[in-house]
Amino acid sequence: MSDTSTTKPRTAMASITFTPSGETIEVPKGTSLLDAAIFCELDVPAPCAGQGRCGRCRVRVASGEVERRSNAGMTTDEILEGWAVACQTYAGEGAIEIDVPERKKEKVRPHGHAIAEPESLPITCDYLQNPAVRTFSLAIDPPTLEDQTSDFDRLCRALTQQHGIEGVRAELPMLRRLGKDLRMANWKVSVTLEMRDWVYGSYLPPRLIRIYPDAFPHASMGLAVDLGTTSVVAYLVDFHTGRVVDSASAYNKQIACGDDVISRIIYAKREKGLERLHKLAVETINDLLEELQVRNGIELYEIHEITVAGNTTMTHLLLGVDPRFLREAPYIPTLSAAPKLVAGELGLSANMLARVHILPSVGSYVGGDITAGVISSGMYATDKLTLFIDIGTNGEMVLGNKEWLLSCACSAGPAFEGGGVRHGMRASPGAIEDVFIDDATLEPTFRTIDNAPAVGICGSGLIDLLGELFLTGIVDKSGHIDRNAPTQRVRVFDGVPEYVVCWAGEGGAQKDITLTESDVTGLLRAKAAIYAGFEVLCASVGVDLADVEQIFIGGAFGQYLNVEKAIRIGLLPDQPVERFHFLGNTSALGAFAALLCVSARLEVNDVASKMTYLELSADNTFMDEYTSALFLPHTDLIGFPSVSAALAARGSGNGNGG
Amino acid sequence: MTPVEIPVEKWSGAVREVTLGSSYGGGTRGSTVSVGGETALPFLGFEGAMPHRPAIAVEVQDMHPADWSAELQAAWGDAMDDAATWAQKAVEAGADLIALKLRSCHPDQGDGSCEDAVRTVERVLAAVPVPLIVYGPGSADKDNEVLVAVAEKTKGEQLALGLCEDKNYRTIVAAALGNGHAVIAQTPIDVNLAKQLNILISDMGLPLERVLMDPNTGALGYGLEYTYSVMERLRLAALMGDSMTQQPMICTAGEEAWRQKEGRAEGDVPEAWGALAERGVAWEISTATTLLESGADILVLRHPASVSAMRDALDDLTKGA
Repeated sequence: MSDTSTTKPRTAMASITFTPSGETIEVPKGTSLLDAAIFCELDVPAPCAGQGRCGRCRVRVASGEVERRSNAGMTTDEILEGWAVACQTYAGEGAIEIDVPERKKEKVRPHGHAIAEPESLPITCDYLQNPAVRTFSLAIDPPTLEDQTSDFDRLCRALTQQHGIEGVRAELPMLRRLGKDLRMANWKVSVTLEMRDWVYGSYLPPRLIRIYPDAFPHASMGLAVDLGTTSVVAYLVDFHTGRVVDSASAYNKQIACGDDVISRIIYAKREKGLERLHKLAVETINDLLEELQVRNGIELYEIHEITVAGNTTMTHLLLGVDPRFLREAPYIPTLSAAPKLVAGELGLSANMLARVHILPSVGSYVGGDITAGVISSGMYATDKLTLFIDIGTNGEMVLGNKEWLLSCACSAGPAFEGGGVRHGMRASPGAIEDVFIDDATLEPTFRTIDNAPAVGICGSGLIDLLGELFLTGIVDKSGHIDRNAPTQRVRVFDGVPEYVVCWAGEGGAQKDITLTESDVTGLLRAKAAIYAGFEVLCASVGVDLADVEQIFIGGAFGQYLNVEKAIRIGLLPDQPVERFHFLGNTSALGAFAALLCVSARLEVNDVASKMTYLELSADNTFMDEYTSALFLPHTDLIGFPSVSAALAARGSGNGNGG
Repeated sequence: MTPVEIPVEKWSGAVREVTLGSSYGGGTRGSTVSVGGETALPFLGFEGAMPHRPAIAVEVQDMHPADWSAELQAAWGDAMDDAATWAQKAVEAGADLIALKLRSCHPDQGDGSCEDAVRTVERVLAAVPVPLIVYGPGSADKDNEVLVAVAEKTKGEQLALGLCEDKNYRTIVAAALGNGHAVIAQTPIDVNLAKQLNILISDMGLPLERVLMDPNTGALGYGLEYTYSVMERLRLAALMGDSMTQQPMICTAGEEAWRQKEGRAEGDVPEAWGALAERGVAWEISTATTLLESGADILVLRHPASVSAMRDALDDLTKGA
């Protein structure tokens, strides 16, 4: 045996102190500053998940030794001042002091209505006959020396005798307090029961969620959540009336860890990344719960049931399940239907025994938000050939009727949410959402959200603007900006032509707001991916897009989409406008239906298990359709009669020939 | 024995007819070349018409191409030093058209002036009676400069100007439009991209009867099968009535075939490859024949022996059609 055990060379360590929070952490040399900050749970944004693309994770190196691998987009002055891109800067040895700039608070409420409005349920919903959660008043015979039945059996006996409910179950946390609760209420109680379990139709007996003195005023509420990649919406539902009493929305707090699902999946691979994403999803929902609680004067323990509809990645992250295999071929989710959970297990601040139902997904990129959409739109129950689309970072779509359902997802990229576009932004105050360009002068007129001074262009504004630039001939069919267009507003900046939609100073704008040729390319790619999805979906079952009898547009972005203008750029098929129907937030509506109706829960499972999922990366016609759609409005003009007519009406087509 | 009925496909569409060269209105050509007009797949005379036999162009450069295969240098000899002489020899070899490449204008090849380019074109026009295809040096900005100058000075000659690509077509199309020329639209082996460029060019107001498309070609062993299927799909779409795919196709078979090592390598190659003298020409002929079968209307060739071989092949293929 050798005893030459030399002392292992100690890994060189760095001691990083973050100011102003004062956190200090020891990390091995070579750890990225972003990883260190995540470890300390500091709020450093990383929309690109630390791939060094966005440059948003800026920190200032006040002292100490660091290694910079990239200074993405920073000026020399900034570098001299110590500014560094945290994900591309690595700790050296010894003491390092890092200044984390305080983040400007983003306005957290996305543009849109946050007011309560009556929401309709699918026709098949049988809330009144078969409610998911019910509350019963009970007058229980107090025990005596003669009647020695246990408290729980006594409660069950009263439920059977007074309401015909049999076989009620209770979980341990409930039993632990049952004896005291019954006696404090003097045996006159209200009990809230989850009436039936819905997982794969196996009817489990009713379950006790809550028990309280009958004399007290009490509410029985539920929460339907649309857990979107960008925005999260929650409906507060009164189980007594079956109505939505209020709704609230906020940006998903995970945005700080990546703008889109792919970035989040990448972020989840970092140390503590998955944990943080899970926590942020829960926090986002809890914040909404709190907001609704305060506004409606209820108690959190009065939230008796929760349904969540989200895409497959969001579902994985909410459950804290590693999503990485969604991104690696052959793109398999860890789960499609979630196990039975209660709020306490996930850390949701509702009643800890409240059931949390997560709507099942179909495939890696067709999630519970889409099955929710299919349910709330009623397309699973119609004879009509229906196309349901949800346009966002991913374009998800379902084709079919009550006989069959076929779905696919196309990666459109973040362009429609303002990502990757120089002056793109989400739909919030100051976003240009509506543009018109004069044929003769090529001057634009536009409107911003809340009429605030223009700060950027949101998705609907981008579609509008591109459509206008195209019809006026400033952008040609291949998406190139005509450098010789007779207007001051077309200029070349850094070798790339662009159109200035708003000059600095115009209506209080701080800077010139432009759409560049590269932005146009990004938008073309986004719309081409979605349109190609329609074509492939239709072709795979041998129908023509023109045979589709109704087109349902769901999803958050859909609400602000102008159909005519979306057709103009070839994002939507050129079909009569009457065929398009806006359904609002179909994901939230589906979650609402599943919250209230046991039948909807069974149907959503049925839909998820029946729906065929078409993986486009395994489809060799997709690329061909994509290239064909990578044109304005499309290479196949015959499919776009109304756009052809508009072009003809504007004088021998687009372009400056003649 | 029951007679076998041969199935006959009937098509609703036709390839557009494009004519190069003119003898009036400024044109000085002794002959013109019309291509296209097919109403069936290539050489299927029993299904439809092929009113014009595919034409053969010979590539001529305005400077001695020292990087060309020794085989080609030997075949053309000193004629390569002067574009006009070279063009004359090419016509003697059987060329229906001359494809003149203004290579010396390229910024990396001497950056020759527009005036020089125009002079060369005029000398070639004077030397031969056949129509001309004129290629710019292959650098976007310089192409635009040179081709505009050439187009203006040769108004009415009905040249084919190339290359238009999706990133650089406007100037060349405008020059062709104003001076009575045709253009060649090149896209990278893709049906949709070819169609899109035709649409863009047509949007500028140039009649499609003045547009040739170059679907881009791979040589035998270098993607020829892919080219074949894309060209076939383009032609099928044209015959099915898709207007924006109905342009005659021009293929640079010679350039592609001679660029490969099979057309140049001598010595250190497997014995089975045979002598370079036959190999290079065989490579060009195999490539060109395949392209003819997939719908080429103009073949641009490099070796005189290939030219006569392809003329023979065309005689055979069109016999009885």
